[in-house]
Amino acid sequence: MDLSRRGFLQAAALTAAASGLTVACGGSGSGGTKNGKNLTLWYWGGALSDKVVAEAKTHFSSAVTLTASSIGGDFKQKLTTTLAAGGSSVPDITGIKGEDIASFLPNASRFLDLNDLGFKKLSSQYLGWKTKLAQTSDGKQIGFPIDIGPTALFYREDLFAKAGLPTDPAKVAALATTWEDYFTLGTELKKKVSGTFLVNNIGSVFSMAVGQGTERFIDKNNHFIGDQDHIRTAWTTAVRPYTLGLDAKINDNSWNAAIGKSLTTELGAAWHALDIEQAAPATKGKWRVCAMPGGPANQGGSYLALPKQCRNPEEAFKIISWILSPANDARGFTDAAIFPAAPAAYAMPAMTGPDAFFGGQKIIEVFGPAAKAIPDSYEAPADAAVMAPYMTELTNIEAKGKKPDDAWNDAVSQAKQIARRQGVS
Amino acid sequence: MTSPPVTGPAAVPRHRGGPGPARFRPRRATPAGTTVRPRRRGPLSYWRQYLAISPFYLIFAVFSFFPVFYSLYLAFQRWDGLGDMQFVGLQQFTFLWDDPVFWLSIRNTLVIWVLSTVPTLFGALALATLLHSVRRFKGFYRIALYLPNVTSIVAVAIFFGAVFSNNFGLVNAILGTVGISPVPWLSNPWLIKVVISLLMTWMWTGYNMIIYLAGLQAIPTSIYEAAKVDGAGPVRTFFQITVPIMRPIILFTVIISTINGLQSFSEPQVLFASNAANANLGGPGQAGLTTLLYFYQSAFLNNDYGYGAAIVWAFFLLIIVLVAVNWRITQRGRKP
Repeated sequence: MDLSRRGFLQAAALTAAASGLTVACGGSGSGGTKNGKNLTLWYWGGALSDKVVAEAKTHFSSAVTLTASSIGGDFKQKLTTTLAAGGSSVPDITGIKGEDIASFLPNASRFLDLNDLGFKKLSSQYLGWKTKLAQTSDGKQIGFPIDIGPTALFYREDLFAKAGLPTDPAKVAALATTWEDYFTLGTELKKKVSGTFLVNNIGSVFSMAVGQGTERFIDKNNHFIGDQDHIRTAWTTAVRPYTLGLDAKINDNSWNAAIGKSLTTELGAAWHALDIEQAAPATKGKWRVCAMPGGPANQGGSYLALPKQCRNPEEAFKIISWILSPANDARGFTDAAIFPAAPAAYAMPAMTGPDAFFGGQKIIEVFGPAAKAIPDSYEAPADAAVMAPYMTELTNIEAKGKKPDDAWNDAVSQAKQIARRQGVS
Repeated sequence: MTSPPVTGPAAVPRHRGGPGPARFRPRRATPAGTTVRPRRRGPLSYWRQYLAISPFYLIFAVFSFFPVFYSLYLAFQRWDGLGDMQFVGLQQFTFLWDDPVFWLSIRNTLVIWVLSTVPTLFGALALATLLHSVRRFKGFYRIALYLPNVTSIVAVAIFFGAVFSNNFGLVNAILGTVGISPVPWLSNPWLIKVVISLLMTWMWTGYNMIIYLAGLQAIPTSIYEAAKVDGAGPVRTFFQITVPIMRPIILFTVIISTINGLQSFSEPQVLFASNAANANLGGPGQAGLTTLLYFYQSAFLNNDYGYGAAIVWAFFLLIIVLVAVNWRITQRGRKP
């Protein structure tokens, strides 16, 4: 008994020590030289075309071994934690979501400046406004644009026909050039086809209207400007469909059920087409796309970046510039519905084909010009956090019937507070 | 092998309350003529035992102890998770004091806690009493009622979201057949709380029922028989025999439910998931924003780790107060 227990404990101690040694060896095995042969790539499902990534592996197999991992869950959180921890687990190439890029800019020192690696020569191939969003104020380029999210107006051709309205995209766009025209159109639609709504919620109108401008909630000098006219105008625009009774007030997951039924139009980015297609497959052929009232905005669209720990910056840059070359970027559109950030791709056969879900419409004719017309804008690191109370108060109007003016005052005062907390003056 | 250290002679003199139960009675007088050497061993000589219990303490230290105190340190800093930390003193707490959303989240948490705990415990006690008197299919009922507790919380929340959906939900469809107009379950601030509480009640009633059932089965039948002989009916028996005897078990479930109820996070998080257009958590009007959800939003979505840490530490103080109240109630029950 005594002996066997001692034996057991010694065996346990040895096992523990041995496993500790193995871990230690594993940690020190892959050193941090700058011409490493094993590179890792982090992205999330749908960020890149899986086929292009697989081809990149074979294409560069003579120089490096590329291991791609599709990271699930909260990507930004996992990347932040890994970067903060450092060491060999930091990926050599990583994706960064469009809505997160601004919050990584203050820590640009954690990434390599892509301009040093040759991005300067390539940058003219990509949309300027998209490239600038991944640039620090002193000109460091941390993100290589993958895709963008040019917005447009999706509408139900069959319901428009039922209401006796024009159904041709060019004519609908001409009828809805401004937001006010669009709401007039909605009033008419509602009169003719009862039980339908123009917009799913007013928060979506607000974020589109803000995105159409060049300034957002914080200016380049780090001052809060969320109480100024450009935001107030966007707010007033957003509240209009609510007062006109055109708002479906959908703030829960019932969008999936509503999209094929009661919604006549939908404001969304190019990638939103896939959401509609998946939620309402029965409406195939009934949707069309046209230019968005008041001009295009951008929603989403990601980047690839090289963390400072990258084991082989030259090869890594070659890999990302190959994966994101206009030709391969266009394939991403076919494989994963990612809309390329390289305008040259818009003329390629992969993108110019007719789309059966949109009744054979060539949707690139809407999204292509929209992509090029999106204005340069400045998005501060704290922008998303400061925008949040406006969205909350807009849902308060919808859910509680809160007075729009009270909601505006509460939104501004809360946004100011968050801005102060985030170090904005 | 000699006796284990716990019952060895060195430990016994510290026993205060006079001679204990028979098996622990110290051998005060040693037989004459024998000299007993005090077996004093340094703590290092027990290294094998310490090694054997070390995994728990190591994991606890790394994943619980260190983060707890690191978060206290973080509450006095401004930090975005990657850049340099900046000491800001009590600034995060002054922000917290002035932040209406924080107070809203505290109110939400407390309301959801009360709305879920009360029906859970009453329902569990009633079900346990019913099940205690059932003669057939006992195993079936127990499993059926316990099943919600082992179902994934995410699956249950998605299911509830679909059933209570404002526009196309099952509940509203059923109400519609009776002629009741659709109820805005997932957008009215109070109904949101009701739905979250219902979800928690659904998940935790079975768990508490099993505990109560175990307590009921431990009550000797002779007490009930005596009560019957004295002419007590089933209701009187329940309130004057069952409940008083079950008191410690009920208090245990109250404390466990307090801890669970105040930590509600997954339910509202899944029920009102944020999307690209609206990054807010907690649903319309933030009516389902519990304190832990607000902490998650501040720290992990807004990258404001210092403020997040301040939120949880302020919340910790609140839990301390509630635990103190619980403790007072327990003590009051024991004194007479």
